[in-house]
Amino acid sequence: MKRNLTTAIEKWVAGGLKFVGQLSILSLPEGGYELRHAEDADKPDLDTFHSPSKARSISFFDNAGEYRPLKTAPNLQHGWRLVLKDAAELRAALDHFYPAMTAVWLSHLENALTPVALRDTLNRQTGMYAATKRLQDEEGQELVGRACAASSCTKRILWNFGPNQPLTTLEADKLPPAPHNESKPPSQMPLLCHEACNILVAACREVVKKRERAAGPPPDPSAAHPTPHPTPHAAS
Amino acid sequence: MSSKPDSALIIVGHGSTVNPDSSAPTFDHAEVILQSGAFGEVHCAFWKEEPSLRQVLHMVDRDDVYIVPNFISEGYFTRTVIPRELELEGPVTQKNGKHLKYCEPVGNHERMGELLLKRASEVAPGVDPADCSLLIVGHGTNLNDNSAFAAKREVDRIRELGIYGEVFNTYMEEAPLINEWDSYTTRPNVVVVPFFIADGLHSYQDIPVLLGIEQETGTAASQREIFRQNPYVLRGRTLYYASAIGTEPAFAELILAQTALFDAQTSTHTASV
Ligand code: SF4
Repeated sequence: MKRNLTTAIEKWVAGGLKFVGQLSILSLPEGGYELRHAEDADKPDLDTFHSPSKARSISFFDNAGEYRPLKTAPNLQHGWRLVLKDAAELRAALDHFYPAMTAVWLSHLENALTPVALRDTLNRQTGMYAATKRLQDEEGQELVGRACAASSCTKRILWNFGPNQPLTTLEADKLPPAPHNESKPPSQMPLLCHEACNILVAACREVVKKRERAAGPPPDPSAAHPTPHPTPHAAS
Repeated sequence: MSSKPDSALIIVGHGSTVNPDSSAPTFDHAEVILQSGAFGEVHCAFWKEEPSLRQVLHMVDRDDVYIVPNFISEGYFTRTVIPRELELEGPVTQKNGKHLKYCEPVGNHERMGELLLKRASEVAPGVDPADCSLLIVGHGTNLNDNSAFAAKREVDRIRELGIYGEVFNTYMEEAPLINEWDSYTTRPNVVVVPFFIADGLHSYQDIPVLLGIEQETGTAASQREIFRQNPYVLRGRTLYYASAIGTEPAFAELILAQTALFDAQTSTHTASV
């Protein structure tokens, strides 16, 4: 075992890490940690829980009870505090609130995180998502500007649109964080997106399909080459 | 059960961007396995949720890693999507100092039939199976997976045991259709077990409507209520409706069994080389 993420998180908190996404982390004087929504800092009447797995049910729904498929969307629910007995429980809870984000940050600090350009992610797709290979530059950039905006997702994007083709539509707070200063760990851990999520890939498909539907059906190839019955995952 | 404190386990599920219950069984089984101490680390990864297949390897501290797809059968996801996204080269892949062991999907395990029987008897307590028609309901022939084939294999196995009066494969979209259940079953009691990995629209709404125990207008959000109202008396029979087989807690044992099977097959292979 070359690395230990639990120990790394413990050190970050001891070194001054206070916020992960919308969460605030507090080291308790009696040992252990407390997590709550950072906006609930001064709220007295929060529901208190003690199990890291409670983080799962909290993270799955927003204040209105709606499902949150993207855990880095800025709609973490309020009104609770989670008391955790040690760093292992803290790690487990953070993995429910912000899946993989502490691990990805550690990989980033260790120079072991390789961003993948959106074009490379799309070109790898098969089945129903193979259509995303036909995404055009302009509509793709426009989509990223909309789908990945800070109002939808709080990750900072490390990937380019294509190899040597930067993103052009995002605000500075969505772009990579300033280089990390070893001697002073940040009080807010950046959430990093090193490769487009499936929600964005699915949105790319929608953009392509919408454009192609608007342009009308392609010439019918079946007249010359009968094709097998299409399937939901057939390349199209 | 063997303990692997120096190994990590990744359970891979499909996940969903619309159904919060899709990933629940995968997380539940992971929790049970972690508590059991069978693996030093247990993580989940999903195609449509987070952590994604592209993120999960960063979460793993240990170098020896077992990967078990929490899928009902082999298919497009287990053969194409998971290997591609995790950059697997076969059953064993060496990557960045990690030893990745790709196990068979949980639904392939020969104990699946046992679990279906367990679920069937639990949903209809006190009912003599000999007076019972057991229906295993699947989606139908879907070229993405072999779940229809897998369901048929399980039904053949269960039928051979001769415990239930009769056993049928039935489907939502092809014959024998689930909505015609009363036309081909002959026993006074009918037990229906969905052959899915998680509950969702199919088990909360579509199948109940097809069975006739729910109105068309039923909302998917009424959810688990549907399983609490057993038995349903309709069409002259007593019908018991179970939740998706993948929510069965014993699935966690099958996940572990797939890692043991991987070891057994690898050692046989090594011994025979
Ligand atoms: S691609 Fe990355 S930044 Fe964009 S929505 Fe998905 S996770 Fe957020």
